[in-house]
Amino acid sequence: MTAAASTIRARARPGPGSRVWAGVRRYALTVFAGLAFAYLLVPIGVVVLFSFNDPAGRRNLTWQGFTLDNWMNPFAYPGLREAVELSLKIAALSTIFATVFGTLIALALVRYRFRGRSATSLLIFLPMATPEIVMGSSLLTLFLNYSFPLGFTTILIAHILFNISYVVITVRARLIGFDRHLEEAAMDLFANPWTTFFRVTLPLIAPGVIAAGLLGFALSVDDFVITYLVSGSETTFPLFVWGAARVAVPPQINVIGSAIFLVALALMLANVLWQRRRSLKGA
Amino acid sequence: MTHSITRRELLRRAAVGGAAVSLPSILAACGGEGIEGQTGAQPGTTSVTKELADELVFANWPFYIDVSDDEKTRPSLDQFTAETGVKVRYLEEVNDNEEWFGKYQAQLAQGDDIGRDIVVLTDWMAARMIRLGYVQKKDKSAIPNEENLVANLTSPGWDPQREFSLPWQSGITGIAYNEKRTGGPVTTIEQLLTDPKLKGRVTMLTEMPDTMGITMAATGGDPEKVTADAFDTAIDMIQQAVDSGQIRRFTGNDYVEDMLQENVWAGLAWSGDVVASIQPENPDIKFTVVDTGSHIWTDNMLIPLGGDVFTASTYMNYVYDPAVQAQIEAWVNYICPVEGTQEEIAKIDESLAENELIFPTDEMRSKTFIFDAEAADDPDYKEQFQAVIGA
Amino acid sequence: MDFLHRHRWLTPYLLLGPGLAWLAVFFVVPLFYLGYTSLQAGDILTGYTFKWAWENYSDAFTLYRPHFLRSLQYAGVATAIAFLISYPLSYWIAFRAGRWKNLFLLLVIAPFFVTYLIRTIAWKTILADQGPVVDFLRTVQLVSDDGRLLATTTAVVAGITYNYLPFMALPLYVSLEQIDHRLIEAAQDLYASRVQAFFRVTFPLSLPGVFAGTLLTFIPAAGDFINAELLGTPRQQMIGNVIQSKFKEIADYPQAAALSFVLMATILVAIVVYTRVIGTERATAG
Repeated sequence: MTAAASTIRARARPGPGSRVWAGVRRYALTVFAGLAFAYLLVPIGVVVLFSFNDPAGRRNLTWQGFTLDNWMNPFAYPGLREAVELSLKIAALSTIFATVFGTLIALALVRYRFRGRSATSLLIFLPMATPEIVMGSSLLTLFLNYSFPLGFTTILIAHILFNISYVVITVRARLIGFDRHLEEAAMDLFANPWTTFFRVTLPLIAPGVIAAGLLGFALSVDDFVITYLVSGSETTFPLFVWGAARVAVPPQINVIGSAIFLVALALMLANVLWQRRRSLKGA
Repeated sequence: MTHSITRRELLRRAAVGGAAVSLPSILAACGGEGIEGQTGAQPGTTSVTKELADELVFANWPFYIDVSDDEKTRPSLDQFTAETGVKVRYLEEVNDNEEWFGKYQAQLAQGDDIGRDIVVLTDWMAARMIRLGYVQKKDKSAIPNEENLVANLTSPGWDPQREFSLPWQSGITGIAYNEKRTGGPVTTIEQLLTDPKLKGRVTMLTEMPDTMGITMAATGGDPEKVTADAFDTAIDMIQQAVDSGQIRRFTGNDYVEDMLQENVWAGLAWSGDVVASIQPENPDIKFTVVDTGSHIWTDNMLIPLGGDVFTASTYMNYVYDPAVQAQIEAWVNYICPVEGTQEEIAKIDESLAENELIFPTDEMRSKTFIFDAEAADDPDYKEQFQAVIGA
Repeated sequence: MDFLHRHRWLTPYLLLGPGLAWLAVFFVVPLFYLGYTSLQAGDILTGYTFKWAWENYSDAFTLYRPHFLRSLQYAGVATAIAFLISYPLSYWIAFRAGRWKNLFLLLVIAPFFVTYLIRTIAWKTILADQGPVVDFLRTVQLVSDDGRLLATTTAVVAGITYNYLPFMALPLYVSLEQIDHRLIEAAQDLYASRVQAFFRVTFPLSLPGVFAGTLLTFIPAAGDFINAELLGTPRQQMIGNVIQSKFKEIADYPQAAALSFVLMATILVAIVVYTRVIGTERATAG
């Protein structure tokens, strides 16, 4: 970082050496970016690498040898399958709820002027400005005070909650850049707001809604802090990892972690490509 | 007892009632009355059906039961399933007594089923679970093998008739050290907490009775009858070691990982871990009983509220068969509570029968103490200890 | 349908209804309960009752002051480092990466696709005392022979920085990417120096990204406890560690609630102050 800053400063006086400096500067910034990428990606490499490790015992601490066993039997470790299934179930359900709730809110915020609009925006913003541990602990106190049994339901409630704001933001961004005249034309044509919604509005905002859904799903699968506080006796995948981290992290955890990574990456790539195709067609 | 709870409950409802009125009806419908403490079902009211359930859910500590050589199955559990038809869902979810309790307390206090038929907890926590009515009585008629329980464990103060509990394993907390790294034995708490060579390479345990008991014994206190002075002296010593950076972490089972990675060179350790998990991977790591006093403890099987008593009792009976016990013992290497195991284990591996950490000698036992169960559960002590370990 | 046509003003409220109700019941109401619980007293075995127990708050400010300060400090340092790494990185992607922009952007957020805990555990492996990284640093004498990285403040701050860096880089990128290149060219013609052009034009135009990025990094960092737990020692425990242990391990709910409340208040105050400061800077910069 200092390297980049000093080269920028060095460029201040344009003189005979400026061409050289320009080269250094360009080079320095690129090298810096390269190092930053290495910093970001090395841990991921370690995670993936150790998913192929063949440790002697249950502890996946040092590199012992290459094996595909862990990938062939990702659920060989007892309890892991149940944890992954629970995570996926919670993520799917919470994503559906949050996407519906959030999309409706985004529609209201962009399309209508109404009393309480700024209060609504604040209410959407606040959960994102709240540290997870505060959100989790306030939910927990609610459940404790009502002796509400902790478990699947409470995890689901929490996940829907923290996903709503992200969905609103994502869908709203999409809605803002969208031509209302299309809808008005459709209204004249079909004269029915429902038909208009499903045949015009929804297809147009679909990429935003899908992106929001993917984001929500990813957030849900990854969430540890809030889930940890409200989970009771249920164990999601991150909670399972937490438990394992305090004993012995088996290579199967790296397998699931790598698999989640690869699937998410593939989906993101697909979304990027799809958006590009759409925009090309549109143009 | 029932009366006092009812009254306290009434007072609580009265105190909280006002605040609840203004809340949205959706919440009010659930009914709330502050955060509940002890209101488990009353012990002794268990009615037992003599029918085995399809599944037994068993919550235990990590590395605390036999596993096959390929690490994929647990032979003694499979054998139980073969004999009884009961499938076992075995959960390695207890890493720390307090933490496990904290996780389920809210549910148990409401008398909810936590979905576990057996849980294994250390003496003082077992005592608390029984006192709070969070556990059910065993079905003694289903456990004829209980007669194999070793004599010195038949009547603990907190469950004199063993109506609720049955020992799983005992163990000794002592010092483990990596001889190659430390350059020599580490045998005293003083060395552990002050030797500059070990700075930042020492772990102690988050279990208060282990860490505080052994430190108290080393500083002239009596861990079997804890006094505030002795506790203060010991905690000061630990605090200094934390402040100076001598102690790297306070851990549960995870110290094993730190020791094997050689991030940690010496620390308090549980005997069975060292024999079963550490030494096979790194023979340089030694274990020693502390001369000034090592902690001997027992983990107990309990049946939490909602658990299936008959199925759980049937399982308890199964593991009290010396042959089965020997099979488990040969893997976990703790101190076994079942009479006749030494003979059985000799058939598996002669050296295990002679291992002093599995079958301790009288001389070794004479250096051990049992931690004051009341002090282990004293909120003041716990708070002080928590403050020192950094939380 | 007729009903809706006649009462068009109702439509936005119907759209908002379910989502806002959820937020109200499970976000706003729980904050009330957090406050309510924070004034309870008692103990876990007998239950907690409400009795205006303000001592939970005085404890929060006395006993746990070091943890609060540490959290703010670590979060602040981590945010600063994340900024220093992210700004050149985002700048490079926005102005130099050409048509591969999206791909590089994807690489920046790639760590997010690895479960938070797993990537933190990976750091534990990387920084291990006998691992290759520390070995190398010892060889080049950047770490003393008996020194270490794991279980130090450095490791904790580095872990926090790593985990929240994409939160910083993403908004920075978005704001840099939107800058009209012609503006920068014009500025370069005007000021004749790239540095001046950068500080007079590019940087001020990217301020919304700086603002969003620092907030998105600082807020979760201040409440974090996983890095301190996995990569630190008792001396690096942050306020999040205390809160989680009071909730999950020793069940001292009122104290935990009071600490949460104070953390939330501190962060809100920090946001307001920060908004003011940045707000005026932005005004003067324009």
